[in-house]
Amino acid sequence: MGWKDWLFVRDKECFICRRPGALGYLCPSCSRTLKTWEQEFRPCRRCGRLLCKEYAGELCPQCGEKLPPFRLARAVGPYRGELRRAILEFKYRGRRSLALPLGYLLSRVVAEEPLYGRPRAVIPVPLSSQRLKERAFNQSALLARELSRLLGIKLLEEVLVKVRHTPPQAGLDRLARLQNLQRSFEVVESSRIVGLDVLLVDDVLTTGITAAACTVALLEGGARSVAVVTVATSLF
Amino acid sequence: MGLTHRPPLDRRFWELKGYHFMDLVSPCLNLGTAFFVLKHLEERWAAVGYSLSRVDAVLKEVSRRCKVTLARRPAPAGQPLPPEEEARLAGRILSGRILLLEEVGRALAENGVRVTAELADLLHYLYLQGECELRPAVGFDAQGVPKCNRCGQGDKLYRSSCGACGSTHCYVCEGCLELGEARTCRALYARPGAERAGMFPCRTVSPVLPFSLTRAQEEAALQARTFVEEGKCPRCLIWAACGAGKTEVAYGALAAALSRGKEVLYTCPRRETTKEIYRRLQQAFPGVEMTILHGESGSKYAPAQLVAATTHQVLRCYRRFDLIILDEVDAFPLAGDGRLYYGLERSLRPGGQILYMTATPPPELAAQARRRRLPVIYLPARPHGYPLPEPQIILARGLRRPMGRLPRPVVECLRLSLNGDGASLLIFVPAVDLVAQVVDWLLECREFEGLGDWVRGCHAALPERETVLAAFRRGEFPVMVTTTLLERGITLPRLNVMVLFAHHRRIFDQNTLVQIAGRAGRTSSFPQGKVWLVADRITPEMAEACRIIRSFNRLAFQRGYLRAVERRQ
Ligand SMILES: [Zn+2]
Ligand SMILES: [Zn+2]
Ligand SMILES: [Zn+2]
Ligand SMILES: [Zn+2]
Repeated sequence: MGWKDWLFVRDKECFICRRPGALGYLCPSCSRTLKTWEQEFRPCRRCGRLLCKEYAGELCPQCGEKLPPFRLARAVGPYRGELRRAILEFKYRGRRSLALPLGYLLSRVVAEEPLYGRPRAVIPVPLSSQRLKERAFNQSALLARELSRLLGIKLLEEVLVKVRHTPPQAGLDRLARLQNLQRSFEVVESSRIVGLDVLLVDDVLTTGITAAACTVALLEGGARSVAVVTVATSLF
Repeated sequence: MGLTHRPPLDRRFWELKGYHFMDLVSPCLNLGTAFFVLKHLEERWAAVGYSLSRVDAVLKEVSRRCKVTLARRPAPAGQPLPPEEEARLAGRILSGRILLLEEVGRALAENGVRVTAELADLLHYLYLQGECELRPAVGFDAQGVPKCNRCGQGDKLYRSSCGACGSTHCYVCEGCLELGEARTCRALYARPGAERAGMFPCRTVSPVLPFSLTRAQEEAALQARTFVEEGKCPRCLIWAACGAGKTEVAYGALAAALSRGKEVLYTCPRRETTKEIYRRLQQAFPGVEMTILHGESGSKYAPAQLVAATTHQVLRCYRRFDLIILDEVDAFPLAGDGRLYYGLERSLRPGGQILYMTATPPPELAAQARRRRLPVIYLPARPHGYPLPEPQIILARGLRRPMGRLPRPVVECLRLSLNGDGASLLIFVPAVDLVAQVVDWLLECREFEGLGDWVRGCHAALPERETVLAAFRRGEFPVMVTTTLLERGITLPRLNVMVLFAHHRRIFDQNTLVQIAGRAGRTSSFPQGKVWLVADRITPEMAEACRIIRSFNRLAFQRGYLRAVERRQ
């Protein structure tokens, strides 16, 4: 990049349709498309998973039964369509450059939802060291890095670790998932998060069990509260 | 001096060759960095002259330059080498290919080869023997600038910290990601194709065709055959009119190469076209060992004399082919993509030939042809022997947007299509959002009110585009508005073509216009299809497109390929 690129904002490419003319990685029309779910659904006040508009309660049935340990979770949109395609491309194909636009979308979610308040640290959901060696990158960490940069919040990448290698969550039922993740996250150097409101970042929130497990570890490690933000979330 | 992922292996290898001392000079580095350091060490030693007393000084110097701490440490004791037999098998699989470790694994599995040794060790053993080349998938040049060693580009590299090698400067290539991650810390193993002697028999191969070639095709095919038989020129271009049947012409070159036991690649950018070509090649050359490679093809590593592949797959080939036929050089999505040429050159055996084929050569090739650096075989006439429809330019001053009344000349064209010759009309517009607007604009026109559902829009992003396209093909409605994404691949027997807002130079460049014009008049039942360019002004691109088409017709006329001429004589 030459000096001109810094002085003049050039026409950026929309990361979804690849046409020029994007503001912050998205063209106006794709930006609108990403928000179409708002006509049909609204997020559960606590876990952010999407409920039909007709659903009367503020909370989803699961949160109504037992509130998750995190303060709130929100996502850019449901795990389908372009968003799903982008996540698959990012996570499984390894197109790391998608961290920038997806991180930007995350930052918009956090900035537009007043309930987030002002978190003091961004923390990614970690991978076990074995998985990290196989996969070579942690998608949540890349997202967290962009988010921290865009929001100007400190990034704490090494504080939360996954101590136990567990089989992938996908394909397990709820109970199995719970057992699978029991006590597999741990906080090291808890002095760095004591008393902080932290923002936990992941790519997708489906059952919320991973986020809950991380939250429990963070709270035990001394964090004051934990809020969660993900790129996609499931439909209830 | 060399690099290794497992020093005991190298130690044993060199001990067997009679060397007894070995030092490690660097800490464990990722492959890209290791390569960079090694290159600098070799260069430095070549400059000062190798001697034991200078080793430490050179190490210190290179340490400083590469920002890596180099110092001599004794190497660990040797370990047994992997079985020779297995190394041979891996080598045979790798022949003619450039692959990542896991791809070699997949290739072995696909060919039913099972090995006991660790694959990385096997390949490293081959490398020590000089039987295969080893390089980082993303390497650095002498200045330390990263570049992908698989697709050859350096712009779409993404740096991140890497959990596999632990480096914070591990680059991943996003230019060839669909073939698997090329990364600084990953190795590419390459081995030139096997020596040809006796691998494929020399015998007379001639294409089996259900029809006979036209004179234009026959003459071009003969030229293509001569190009291969003489083997004097490294490159050649078949410049064919749209719908002139260039594949049949390529058969001439193919037959000549196959007869000599050479290995041939037929490649085109798109998967669908590749599959279609493969079917046609199978029919034309029965008895030739053939395989197809594309993103989803089952067997990717079977041996074959004739390979049909998407141009992406060419990035996995290494000095393997004697002849490459590159169809649709200019087609989406490879136009202007350096990776294509990089991959092609690399998959060619030394002394191999490339035959480009297109109706609209990209600017570099066209320029080379004009300067006579690139021999050209022209195929100016269609099999039915009628001239190509020449575009008519319709000026509609002030025509910038689909607004106000439909310009009179456009109405005339519509009337001709709708009431006159019974042909369908395909209208091209320069942008996706114009499709719907133009449909509405046309529907507003009073004159065609009674026709009902006579015009519909279709573009690549439309979910129901396949249904609309099929309905149009069946003739359920006569006029379809579309974007340039459909410029190829649609062939209707009776078709007129209109380009609306043809003055949009960025979208409607000369090649696109030639391709669009090439949709018309493809069949002998309706060779007089019309091509209308409706524009605010005449752009250089429009003029050039008309000139190209006219010159094809003139050439066809001069050579006596046109039917009308035969009749006159
Ligand atoms: Zn867009
Ligand atoms: Zn909930
Ligand atoms: Zn590459
Ligand atoms: Zn790495």
